[in-house]
Amino acid sequence: MNWIYKKWWKWLGAVLLFYVLIGSFFVKLGPGITKVSPSVFGTDSVYTFQISGYHTHFTSAEAEKVQLWFKNGSQYFAPTSLKILSNDIVEVQFGFSSLQQGTIQPAVFDIVMNDEKDGTFALRDGLTLAKASVIDSTQTVLAQVTEPKVKNNKHNLVCFPYREILYETIRNTFFHVPMWFVMTMLVFASFIGSILYLWKGTTKWDVLASQSVVVALLFGTCGYLTGLVWAKYTWYIGVSWGDVLQKLLLEDIKMAAALIAIFFYVAYLVVRSSISDPEKRGKVGAVFSIFAFVVFVLCVFVLPRLTDSMHPGNGGNPAFSKYDLDSTLRMFFYPAVIGWILLGFWILSILIRMQFIKQKQSS
Amino acid sequence: MKKYFALALSLLSVIFTSAQGVTETQDFFASNLKIYVVVAVLAIILSCIFIFLLAIDRRLKELENKGAARN
Repeated sequence: MNWIYKKWWKWLGAVLLFYVLIGSFFVKLGPGITKVSPSVFGTDSVYTFQISGYHTHFTSAEAEKVQLWFKNGSQYFAPTSLKILSNDIVEVQFGFSSLQQGTIQPAVFDIVMNDEKDGTFALRDGLTLAKASVIDSTQTVLAQVTEPKVKNNKHNLVCFPYREILYETIRNTFFHVPMWFVMTMLVFASFIGSILYLWKGTTKWDVLASQSVVVALLFGTCGYLTGLVWAKYTWYIGVSWGDVLQKLLLEDIKMAAALIAIFFYVAYLVVRSSISDPEKRGKVGAVFSIFAFVVFVLCVFVLPRLTDSMHPGNGGNPAFSKYDLDSTLRMFFYPAVIGWILLGFWILSILIRMQFIKQKQSS
Repeated sequence: MKKYFALALSLLSVIFTSAQGVTETQDFFASNLKIYVVVAVLAIILSCIFIFLLAIDRRLKELENKGAARN
């Protein structure tokens, strides 16, 4: 185990994490639409809508190159006029005539926009067509059904994807997700250490097995707590913390199973601390650790995939698909995973060295 | 040692209680496209690591004291 005294990988971990922190603070979110006002309209007249963008570049694109459609099903409707007020606000006029009223049902529209610099972006279900309160029979404005034509669907900006519901929290990909990667690696190290201890009987493998569980629990706790906070503000906004905890811990298989896996490793440490004979402690611990690793893999990787869960990556919920990780996210996600893993093993190496000193003192 | 630990705990509790007060009234964490959720996540990770470091510190102190007693 000479690696615990080497320095280069600790430096590598520090540099990678520094890079990830800088990147996650300074890279902007991509273009998106935050708001349409008013968000409800009728068939009684032509309405003027203000559409607010986020990190968009309307003024830098040529006026006629900014396009906007209201999309319902597979039909695209073009507005009658479009005015650019600023980089992130456009004003459009749009309405259905009373002549069309028979054919237009109350509907929900997506707003789809395209400009040269930002590519295509949309707001899902942004606008609702309610029944008209006043029917003006002289209205003759017709909303046009159009065939959208765009030059560039994708932008060339360096930015994180703008996702509805997630918004800025997409940056948590570099903090919450790697916590579990680190825990998995450390728990695997404990598994390997336990096997080697049972095979060779050297105490250093027992030290590796037990200390990596301590660090794994640190990162598991971090992963769990960050997951709770992220989940509350993604899935349960406005729900009280008590209800959120009940929903996540008792009703969602992923969270419940992860908690069970964590408790198995807490039990491992409790069992170890209750045995005073070192040799017996090592053997019982090694068997327990191998057993706990099997439970960990079942709980974290197998069980949640069998049923439904809110968590991405389970029960038909994709994670790490091409939609979840675009190239800019990847640029920081992989360094984040490696960096956090190296940090975890750095802490582990310190704990192991302390145990070695302790053994030297007591012998 | 205990003094530092208590200080850290009280600081944390101040942060969390004040944050809770704000969420109940106007959902502070959901504002500004949820950027404060990222801040909360980083704060949780850093405070966990900080508490862990304090624990290591305490264990190391015990080792040092034992070593000093033997010499």
